[in-house]
Amino acid sequence: MSLLVLDGVTKAFGGLVAVDGLSLDVRPGEIFALIGPNGAGKSTTFNLISGLLGPDRGRIVLDGADITEITPASRAHLGIGRTFQLMQPFHDMTVVENVMTGELFGHTVPKSLAEARRDAEAICHMVGLDQLVNRDVTGLGVANLKRLEIARALATHPRLLLLDEVMAGLTLTEARQAVAVIRQVRETEVTVLLIDHVMSSVRDLADRVAVLNFGKKIAEGSFQTVAADPDVIEAYLGTEEGDTHQH
Amino acid sequence: MSGRQAVQVLALAVVLVAAVAFPFWANRTQPYYLQIAINIISFAILALSWDMLARTGQLSLAHAAFYGLGAYTSALVTTRMGLPIFLGMLLGSLVAVVVAAGLGMLTLRLRGIYFAIGTLAFSETLRVVTNQLRFTGGATGLVVPPLLGGQRVPQYLLILAVLLLAVVVSWMVNRSRWHFAFTAIRTNEAVAGAMGVDVVRFKVLAFMISAFFAGITGAYYAHVFLFISPIEVYSLAVSVGALVAPIFGGLYTTAGPILGAVVLRVGEEILRSTVQRGYPIIYGLILALVILYMPRGLIGVWASVKSGLATGRKETREPAGP
Amino acid sequence: MLIFGVLRSGLYSLASVGLALSVGVIGIVNFAHGEFLMLGAYMGYWLFASYGVDPLAAIPLGAAGIFLIGSLTYRSAIQRVLRAPELNQMLLTFGISIFLQNLAIILWTGDPRVATVSYKATAVSLGPFTVGLPQLLVFAVAMTLTLSLYAVLGRTRIGKAMRAVAQNRLGASLLGIEVDRVYLLAFGLSTALAGTAGLMITLQLSVSPFIGLLYTLKAFAIIVIAGLGNINGVIYASLVLGLSEAFVEFYVPQGGGWAEGVFFLLILLVLLVRPQGLFK
Repeated sequence: MSLLVLDGVTKAFGGLVAVDGLSLDVRPGEIFALIGPNGAGKSTTFNLISGLLGPDRGRIVLDGADITEITPASRAHLGIGRTFQLMQPFHDMTVVENVMTGELFGHTVPKSLAEARRDAEAICHMVGLDQLVNRDVTGLGVANLKRLEIARALATHPRLLLLDEVMAGLTLTEARQAVAVIRQVRETEVTVLLIDHVMSSVRDLADRVAVLNFGKKIAEGSFQTVAADPDVIEAYLGTEEGDTHQH
Repeated sequence: MSGRQAVQVLALAVVLVAAVAFPFWANRTQPYYLQIAINIISFAILALSWDMLARTGQLSLAHAAFYGLGAYTSALVTTRMGLPIFLGMLLGSLVAVVVAAGLGMLTLRLRGIYFAIGTLAFSETLRVVTNQLRFTGGATGLVVPPLLGGQRVPQYLLILAVLLLAVVVSWMVNRSRWHFAFTAIRTNEAVAGAMGVDVVRFKVLAFMISAFFAGITGAYYAHVFLFISPIEVYSLAVSVGALVAPIFGGLYTTAGPILGAVVLRVGEEILRSTVQRGYPIIYGLILALVILYMPRGLIGVWASVKSGLATGRKETREPAGP
Repeated sequence: MLIFGVLRSGLYSLASVGLALSVGVIGIVNFAHGEFLMLGAYMGYWLFASYGVDPLAAIPLGAAGIFLIGSLTYRSAIQRVLRAPELNQMLLTFGISIFLQNLAIILWTGDPRVATVSYKATAVSLGPFTVGLPQLLVFAVAMTLTLSLYAVLGRTRIGKAMRAVAQNRLGASLLGIEVDRVYLLAFGLSTALAGTAGLMITLQLSVSPFIGLLYTLKAFAIIVIAGLGNINGVIYASLVLGLSEAFVEFYVPQGGGWAEGVFFLLILLVLLVRPQGLFK
């Protein structure tokens, strides 16, 4: 049984079809990577799954339940947690308060402020923010903001965690730490769906990979299979990115 | 730390006792002061109610609408239907709450400037409608029966009690999980939603709480000053005052809006006696200066003075300012 | 009725096209827009009352004066909040609006003043219709100015620079356009247009410190109908407002009072149903 199913999902902005009849099938417990050149529709797909956008056509099913029509908040309660590519911390809050927001609202089990703070601090510890819990988020560096994104998403206690380019802009060491954190997350039976351009991380982490180009899925399988796929090579060489060989 | 808290509690108690004792003194020696105090307290409630809505990022220019709805509903049901005044005031604030829920649902999608213009348009539409209808007394206005037999001291104590209620509600909002929901929605609605905050529910709830206090203050105004007209209670000046005071005092706090309201009204009184006309100029000046030079208001200035004095002392930030 | 609405829309275009310029080019929604109009109206009144200058002849002087005041406002205040949150920009201009309005009350009292030009009551016939000469003049001047603004934006170098900045601030500065000067010019021009509309008002209506707010709100209504920042839609949007007001005044009992509410209702409806504007 799949945890997440996308069934022919389509989303257009004006004349531009960002996601075109996309079908995906994410199994419980796996780490699934979504890759593709810039503008391939990856982030739009995340917005469709987390409910920030509604699809023009198609269905989204989480653990057997159709969630196509429900609000982002309800999806969070059902177990979808996500990070944002452009880091968007809540200003006017400290690091731990940011994470507490997830603890307080991300799932249906009610928590007192004290419990939420305790659990949030544990998550900060896990992602390596333990020195910064009481800092204001303003002025944090990229690496810490990425950690905060992951911490906030984890605080909603997701069954499915959507990670939107959490490696981008990190140094090699920081990226390795992030890989370790994601592995640790998977140990807690969280399914991970991630977008990334850092191919070494995708290769190390992902059980399966789907490649998007112009909103369509052009390949799916293990990293080795898709990396050898002529369509995929074509799609990547067609752009100036050459991301495949990064790191 | 507990020593400081004790000092704070003591200070609060002194203020409270002074506030309760004040009318008994003022009524004998300076009845005009009592009237000003009633004005200041009403203004402080309005400011605090505006702030509670602003905590969700909704910067309303419709506070005159809720104020006016409270005033007119109460005036109409007491004069035309003969209902008791307390019931009228309650009905007034309820009507404001219900209308606020509707307006809140309608304006959910509007952001920033669109929201401000939309709420302003709503408020002005109500003014025009009230002006035109016959049963509201039209442009001439309505004469309203007095609250508590027109006695100033009990009237003062009543509005003081409403302010206390507003303070307690505001304090609870800032100390509970609501604080997290409001702040998250204000800073980023999309992210808040993705983290499980029920954005619609909290935005509309904030609207309703805010309208309740604005409505009851409007109704109170009607029964204390005994006459209302559309141009007065639906005046843009009401909405402007409700917005300038919290910005001046310090947004998203309980003390800030009250402090702002008190300082502004006292300043206005002083100006009124010196320049006679055009004294609202102080609102414009303060608004512009605060935006340009003190973005966190009086509370922010106070905080930086304090941290300036305590240089070197390590402070952990507390979850939410009272 | 139709003529009436059309004539009025000319003044509305002039009063609001400056606001559209400010929103479109600088991205500032100026709540004090109407106050510049009010200042222009007072200039017109004083020039007429003290020196007998016809408001039409006062246009160059009045426009230049308000341009100066507008530029000063930009340099001393607006400039500082260009990168601040939208909310701060709005509140700042709101503060300026309250300030200017009350300054006018302090300086000139709240009493309305009327400039009685010699042709105030003159009527001319336009085919089967009779309209007031001032109304006709105002319409002609307002339309000429609005259309010349369109021409300036479309044809001249500075107009193109403004449009370039409106499209993409960074790109424009890379092209060597001095963004700050363009902003200054756009804001000054925006207020000068409002001031000119104010001068036109002295021809037909009374002047008081309170007219500013009314025209700010009408200008909002118009630019919201046109779509925020859409300068070309202003004429059509003004027509929509002018005609619907005239319609309500003529066909609804006690229409004069209700007409006041028309534009608020229009704003609300447009915002709720079609927030991107009708003409975009």
